[in-house]
Amino acid sequence: MTVSTIENRDDLIRYLEAALALEHATLPPYLTAYYSIRSTTNSDAAHIIRVAAVEEMLHLTLVANVLNAVGGRPDLTRPGFVPSYPAYLPDGEDDFTVDLRPFSPEAVETFCKIERPGKAPSADERLLSAPADRAPLLVSSPTAEGMRFYSIGEFYEEITEGLEKVAADDPALFRGDPARQVGPEYFYSGGGTMIVVTDLDSARRALQFIAAQGEGLDSGIYDAEGELAHYYRFRQLQLGRYYQEGDEPGTPTGPPLSISWDDVHNVKVSAKLADYPPGSELARVAREFNADYGALLALLTQAFDGRPALLQDAVCDMFRLRDGFNRLICNPLPGHDGLHAAPTFEIEPAAGSDQPAARDAGEPTRAVTP
Amino acid sequence: MTAPSLEDFLLLSVDLTAFEETDLLGTGMAEGYLEKVRAACGDGIVAALLDAHRAARADAAAENGNQTRTPLEGEAFDRALRHRVFSDDRLGPVARNIIKLWYAGMWYALPPEWIDRYGAHAAVGTSTVTAASYQEGLLWRAIGANPPGAKAPGYGSWARPPRIADRYLKGARR
Repeated sequence: MTVSTIENRDDLIRYLEAALALEHATLPPYLTAYYSIRSTTNSDAAHIIRVAAVEEMLHLTLVANVLNAVGGRPDLTRPGFVPSYPAYLPDGEDDFTVDLRPFSPEAVETFCKIERPGKAPSADERLLSAPADRAPLLVSSPTAEGMRFYSIGEFYEEITEGLEKVAADDPALFRGDPARQVGPEYFYSGGGTMIVVTDLDSARRALQFIAAQGEGLDSGIYDAEGELAHYYRFRQLQLGRYYQEGDEPGTPTGPPLSISWDDVHNVKVSAKLADYPPGSELARVAREFNADYGALLALLTQAFDGRPALLQDAVCDMFRLRDGFNRLICNPLPGHDGLHAAPTFEIEPAAGSDQPAARDAGEPTRAVTP
Repeated sequence: MTAPSLEDFLLLSVDLTAFEETDLLGTGMAEGYLEKVRAACGDGIVAALLDAHRAARADAAAENGNQTRTPLEGEAFDRALRHRVFSDDRLGPVARNIIKLWYAGMWYALPPEWIDRYGAHAAVGTSTVTAASYQEGLLWRAIGANPPGAKAPGYGSWARPPRIADRYLKGARR
């Protein structure tokens, strides 16, 4: 057993903050692939990606609940919270980058790597030294410099063990105000039941739920609720067939999936604002999307920082972002050989985390007084 | 005759709808709509409409002094467009139909007298363009609402006033 990298509450909070960023970091890649699918086509693939993305949003909220329970303050507006794509994630064998890609075999390959069940051969090998030239790593240790995790599952395993250790040393660990918890009343259609975290037991359940839903760590292809882990959901897209109960990991035996790789807007991989023609209308729309996305992160921060009822407003903003995402992706990117535009997720840092960006940072829209 | 280009059709559509080109392309319907207009009216009439639109822009530019902004605003362009396009017996009904096409996602049959005079084409009757065109209609964005039954806006959002971009309010009271 390696020495724990979580010695105290401060370490734990830093890990949970990293977990919050990690859960969010999976969303732009999933959403880009999802919205690149032409409407009314590829319903099997669209459904699989959508379910995974919605569950990542649940995980994000669960991590916020754990962080709040131990007296932390979730902040989705801090600089660097949204990674610059392509970003690195470890998978235990070779490093790979996470790009913002259209729905494609390459995108699905990346999704499988993100969600790969990664049980380190022994606890000693959970933490690996990170290659110096590979930055930024999403699943790196926030307390042991230069170290990264074998897999996301192992990262959560480290947090759970750290949580148990710190809770044993500090009877007042769960000091957070219960009013800051996001309960099921604020979270709907979100890929599972929200867990309110008030003690070690509920914190452990929240973290284990995240790990199980993502990668099936220790729990096979189906979890205790009979739900297929993300890794195996994505494998279905590679293997062309659905899993059913009793299947072995490599050989799904359910109905075939229908996939049409061509019914996709071929968006530029990990587009940046610099790829947009300077001063163009399209560049302005792409900047506005980023500003709206930044405003959503600021609103979520408020919701996770003591005003959970704001989550309902945030969901409405998410639906507006969906429409903006779709509009951008339907536009060709001039000068890129027919490749299409896509959000760049280059988020301007807010003026200060206590001063969230204005709600309507993009094109000014006003509520019309009835 | 060269086929009418998508670029010219978009330029015309920006002036007819007052939505920006990225909004029009953002519906994913632009190619389909141009095909629909060509099928309903024939390339000759579409080309004449695009020529008349170009001439109206040139008229307004000459009067205003080289104004190249899109959409062209102001009295001169409004007058030129009415003169060259909307008051024309052949082109006016087609231009009005293109506005309805973008806003409602539906091609409406041209008036019977137009068809008698300028020829019936296979696709001349009232029809939807694709299953997606209803929900991509610009009218929903113009009124700041979602198309009923599509593009769900989130639980409880209906309790709030519609959100309309400043540029469409033109100083109207909020």
